[in-house]
Amino acid sequence: MTTTLVRLAFSGIRTRLLASALTLLLAATAAATVVLAVEVGQTGREPWDRTFAAAHGAHVLANVPSEKAARALQSRQGVVEAGAPVPETTVELRTGDGPEPVRISGLSGRPRVNAPVRIAGTATPGDGIVLEHSLASALGLGVGDRLTFAGGVRLPVVGTAVLPSVARYPRSNPGVAWVDRPTFDSLQPLGDLGSWTVALRLADPAAAPRVAGSILAHAPPGSVSAQTWQEQRSVALMDAQPLQLILAMYAVVLLAVVFAVVAILVGARALEQHRQIGLLKAVGLTPRQVTLVFVIESAGLGLVAAVLGFAAGALLAPLLAGPSSETMLGSPTVAANPAHLVVAAALVVLVLVLSTWLATRRRTRFSVLHALESGRSAPPSTSLLARLVARLPVGVPLAVGARTLLAGRARALLLAGAISLTGAAFVFALSMQASLDAQPAGQVSDVPAELPVLVYTLDGVLLLIAIASLLAIALLGLRERLRDFGVLKTVGLTPRQVASTLVSPYALLAAIASVLSVPVGVALYVAVYRAAGGDGDPTIASWTWLALVPVATVLLVVAATSVPARMAAHASAVDVLRTE
Amino acid sequence: MTALLEACDLAKTYDTGGLPVVALNGVDLTVRRGEFVAVMGPSGCGKSTLLNLVAGLDRPSAGAVWFEGERIDQLSETALARLRRRRLGFVFQFFNLLPTLSAEANVELPLLLTGTSRREARRTARGLLADLGIGDKGRSAPSRLSGGQQQRVALARALANQPDLVVGDEPTGNLDSGSAREVLGLLREAHGRGQTLLLATHDARVAAAADRVVTLRDGRVFDDRTLGAARPVTLPFDPEPL
Repeated sequence: MTTTLVRLAFSGIRTRLLASALTLLLAATAAATVVLAVEVGQTGREPWDRTFAAAHGAHVLANVPSEKAARALQSRQGVVEAGAPVPETTVELRTGDGPEPVRISGLSGRPRVNAPVRIAGTATPGDGIVLEHSLASALGLGVGDRLTFAGGVRLPVVGTAVLPSVARYPRSNPGVAWVDRPTFDSLQPLGDLGSWTVALRLADPAAAPRVAGSILAHAPPGSVSAQTWQEQRSVALMDAQPLQLILAMYAVVLLAVVFAVVAILVGARALEQHRQIGLLKAVGLTPRQVTLVFVIESAGLGLVAAVLGFAAGALLAPLLAGPSSETMLGSPTVAANPAHLVVAAALVVLVLVLSTWLATRRRTRFSVLHALESGRSAPPSTSLLARLVARLPVGVPLAVGARTLLAGRARALLLAGAISLTGAAFVFALSMQASLDAQPAGQVSDVPAELPVLVYTLDGVLLLIAIASLLAIALLGLRERLRDFGVLKTVGLTPRQVASTLVSPYALLAAIASVLSVPVGVALYVAVYRAAGGDGDPTIASWTWLALVPVATVLLVVAATSVPARMAAHASAVDVLRTE
Repeated sequence: MTALLEACDLAKTYDTGGLPVVALNGVDLTVRRGEFVAVMGPSGCGKSTLLNLVAGLDRPSAGAVWFEGERIDQLSETALARLRRRRLGFVFQFFNLLPTLSAEANVELPLLLTGTSRREARRTARGLLADLGIGDKGRSAPSRLSGGQQQRVALARALANQPDLVVGDEPTGNLDSGSAREVLGLLREAHGRGQTLLLATHDARVAAAADRVVTLRDGRVFDDRTLGAARPVTLPFDPEPL
């Protein structure tokens, strides 16, 4: 029996190529976003390992108040190699945009452990200064530029370098730079007393947390810090965190849209295939088995979509991980973790199976005889909402169209949900842009430059999906209601009015859904802002921009539905009524 | 009686996969105001095609259709829609009610299209449904009505704007004999009130109720006779059983 059900499912996919292709596209996009969300944080792992190796990185990096305390740590049990203690202090760099605090380390030659890794120029400061690479990029500085510090000390930039223990500026703030000891001593500290770092390498790197814990346990609280190599790596890879958060949010939105659209498409198909379902039941399939045919079909498409999405997501992830690469050697690489394929497949298949099951479970329970005789399902009962609309003083096309659209409550609600979520994604993007625009001129943002591009790209993808889905749903509505359009023409509706019975209810639904999308989008933005650790109250897009979302949504919906509406307007009443 | 409808040398050829099929071939027909004309003939003789053409639902390949002196076969789709909503009513074999509207709302539809107020449309629809014996079914969805009741609703919808002409394509063709008798009775009542009727039918009893029977065969008028006292008419072919 299972083989028969699978065969029926695949036959369904083959005979509905367009709907199957749309489902595949939607599911693959959602899968790719899920994969991107989980992969992007891992693509920097290899470059970080490379950087750690090149720097001869520290398994434990301790920061203590005195050189004596630092030297004491060099001989701790388990330590096989230690760098010379390096003094650190914060100084004030004078830039065109105002003073900029910089954390300066005073090197005595090239450190044996945790040595800066050259990116440009030299990593040995000599009489100049070596800037951490992301700090140099953010301030627009390069080799050859001359810097002025508080106290009048002027130093040439002789190189840029990275260090596995330093995260990207400005998330790691103040930025980091290296000078030699004589220069260090000539700089004027900015208020603090300075500290000493000592880089330790252990016989057993896995013991780093235990060693770090022991260092902290033997020092007065707050006077010492110790960072393990695992912590250094996770801090470095956290540069991708905002991207991951955004991608996770869009993955949820996309999965919800996929749920709604697939439920509508499958539900419409089940209605259209009423007679075929009746035939399947007549030959002995139970309603549950008929539902299972639809579920297998969706699950099959979901699995293919997950593989396609995994490939696309894994390939795109390194491109998105650009910010992390600024503090590392080399470019982010394709991680393609098979566990991520499992995650994406599980989520996508679950969503598809659930939406298909909910859309079909009731549509397979009907009288076989009725299905075979009439070939069409019983029309939906008039909903309360439809009756309410009937009381509104609206024109005949809208009244008829709205009652028809609302007669299928579930479909109307799912469609409204999908439109609302798409609108909310745009409200999110507008608010994010407003926050970026609200930053004072000259202030370096800790938002990765890729983030706005990513959000707008995802919005564009969501918009394309919404338009394609809306077009498909409107075409389905056209096919289901073709006979009704013929009747309306005989009753005396003009072609324009016939078209309006299709367009106006969708426009009304879009107007309501898109107005709702504004508070949903704002709530989404505030939630993500808080989750990302944003300070203070987030800036929300102005009301003018927010008002554009419903207006644009309605216009887009009208544009998308006008294609099937035109077909309805020009359909011959005689031809469609003859199909009886 | 004055001519309400005139079809002159009407022809219609369908292109079915590159193969021309002649449905009507030079049909002349005049329907006078207040007349009850039954169009008969075997399946495929062109009855429905003739009705579709004279009602402006389809365009002829040749010939002309005049409605109260105005040529309508060349009107735009919008003008034809306006003509249909005010001056024509339709009754179909399969009722063709809008499934998402209640019986009452189906009847209100043509009234609202002609600008009748909602209150007046509701009052008229209820009155019509009551006159047709289904006043208690106004709020029911069409799917909850029997075939006979659905056809009554369709008839009420066709009569709602008091059109000049009611066109019926096999109005009793999908009904049991009891319902068919009732619907025929209602059509006769409407005719008795002066309503012009043009009905395509296989039903000998419908034909017997008409003033005139036009018989088509192979897309041409085979016979056109006004019925007098010698009813029922003798049919030139075997009618299909009810």
